Amino acid sequence: MTPELISSLKQFAPEGVIISGLVFLFIMDAILPSSRESRLPLFVVLFSCILGALVTIGVIPTEASSLFSGVIQSDGVTTFFRLLFFFSCAGGTLLAYETKVLDRDSLSEFSLLILCVTFGMCLMASATNVLMLYIGIETVSIISFVMAGLKRDDARSNEASLKYLIFGAVASAIMIYGFSLIYGVTGSLNYGDIAKALIEGGGEPKWAILLSMVMVYVGLAYKISAFPLHFWTPDVYEGAPTPVTAFFSIAPKAAGFGAAIRFFLCVLSTPGEAGVWTPMALGHGAWTQAIAVLSVLTMLVGNLSAIGQKNVKRILAYSSVAHVGYLLMGFVSANAFGVTAVLFYLVAYCLMNLGAFWVVGLVADRKKSEDLEAFKGVGWEDPFLGVTMAIFLFSLTGIPMFSGFVGKFLLFSNVVQTPGFLWLAVIGVLNSVVSLFYYANILKAMWLDKPDTVVEAPVSSVHRIALAVLAIPTMVLGLYFEPILKVTQSLVATFR
Amino acid sequence: MTVSFLTNWVHYLVAALFSVGLLGFLIRKNALVILMSIELMLNAVNLYVAKVSLALHSGAGLVLVVFAITVAAAEVAVGLAIILNLYRAKRSVDVDMFTGLKG
Repeated sequence: MTPELISSLKQFAPEGVIISGLVFLFIMDAILPSSRESRLPLFVVLFSCILGALVTIGVIPTEASSLFSGVIQSDGVTTFFRLLFFFSCAGGTLLAYETKVLDRDSLSEFSLLILCVTFGMCLMASATNVLMLYIGIETVSIISFVMAGLKRDDARSNEASLKYLIFGAVASAIMIYGFSLIYGVTGSLNYGDIAKALIEGGGEPKWAILLSMVMVYVGLAYKISAFPLHFWTPDVYEGAPTPVTAFFSIAPKAAGFGAAIRFFLCVLSTPGEAGVWTPMALGHGAWTQAIAVLSVLTMLVGNLSAIGQKNVKRILAYSSVAHVGYLLMGFVSANAFGVTAVLFYLVAYCLMNLGAFWVVGLVADRKKSEDLEAFKGVGWEDPFLGVTMAIFLFSLTGIPMFSGFVGKFLLFSNVVQTPGFLWLAVIGVLNSVVSLFYYANILKAMWLDKPDTVVEAPVSSVHRIALAVLAIPTMVLGLYFEPILKVTQSLVATFR
Repeated sequence: MTVSFLTNWVHYLVAALFSVGLLGFLIRKNALVILMSIELMLNAVNLYVAKVSLALHSGAGLVLVVFAITVAAAEVAVGLAIILNLYRAKRSVDVDMFTGLKG
């Protein structure tokens, strides 16, 4: 073992913990079939995530370092995404075990698959090589297809997995064609060498570079469900089991943003002084202008389609598309502040979206339906559910005093500080106003409408604790956000 | 140092194969044929990467090809399982049969 490999493995330890958990689950499933009936797989996943998070904190890098001959980069941004993934993996698994959506047999499969996806997401968010990025994305995608269809007897779940599979496979095929064109033009697969070749060679031929970047955007846009590759989102989110949807709506999206941050800033930009990049010109302008337009289209499509939907999971799916639009705004400045804003918003988004889907899962457990009709009077049946859902939805809207507002404020101020993009901030604010309409619709159903039938089903204390753990930071981060912001800033400072 | 564009016939062959796959995905309704079209797209890319790799005398591209083949195999395995499950329910693999999710 060379010293380089040993130091690489040390920085790769959090992923190692996840792989160990995965292997342990495999073996346990094989030699102890009765564990399928118990909660043992849940504890293995929770233990792996907690241990993984502790190891991540233990190996926080003080500066960026390339691992495994440059296929992976370990820096503060890697650390951030690892923690976010471990948190959402633990949250998703807990939700799956505590609701009655999945049967016992599917649950042990769910635990295996979600750990596997978590590993793939860690690769995605730290890859600095297009081959590594491709493998990371495919690890996440292929297993996501299975997870969407985890309810084998449910026609909607099957259909969701078919749609996810077909569009996902095509998007990744287009993306790898883009990678191969990049390889053909620059002769390298490493981000650093690609960027160097693009600068030195002037990026000739220009049309090939532009075409390849559009193709790579197709693949990334599919993963984060940005315009024009957002159309699968509502169908898959509606059809997939609710815990799976809750997980899909936060973690793979965050992983896509991790990959996008690295790709946009390491390949398509030239680094200036610390924390500032100069975006490279593609076609008639810098790529930041294209991202600004796509950001506007994404949030418009998400917000306008959400109005008039009858299924709450569908509303939240379109709302997640809109949030991707807001998040894309962080890229237009191509500086460290923009990256910090994206990361902070991801934290807030992770908390509030997981919480909103958690409440949807609980309501669906009671009423056997996720339609707006089923939410009628839930606030009066169980005020705790009603209040926490109100917190999550207000935060998603971006009303002051909630964490969503601080996240949006950072994103918008990032845009305003970038010359020539004031219009983007204006459209973003207007979009937030539009989003209030459909969020308020859910709240109206929960609090103002009378229920058709009153279902007496007490919510267990595990759910109450979990919802409190998600709701309290959502409120606290709206007022006392400085510590998290400082930590995020110091993590981004090591990114280059 | 790189494969010059527009002068090499491989580019046209690859673009043609990829387009055939993409067209097949867009117009065919049979889920199995769609999977085959996706396979065609991936293999067109593999051909291109192998050619570039040979021209550059670099092994990185060949590694990409090997991984792409593996990933494609995994994708098809999962895809066939999903399609088989759908076939059991509706006795058809026509994608137009599966339109239960609408907004």
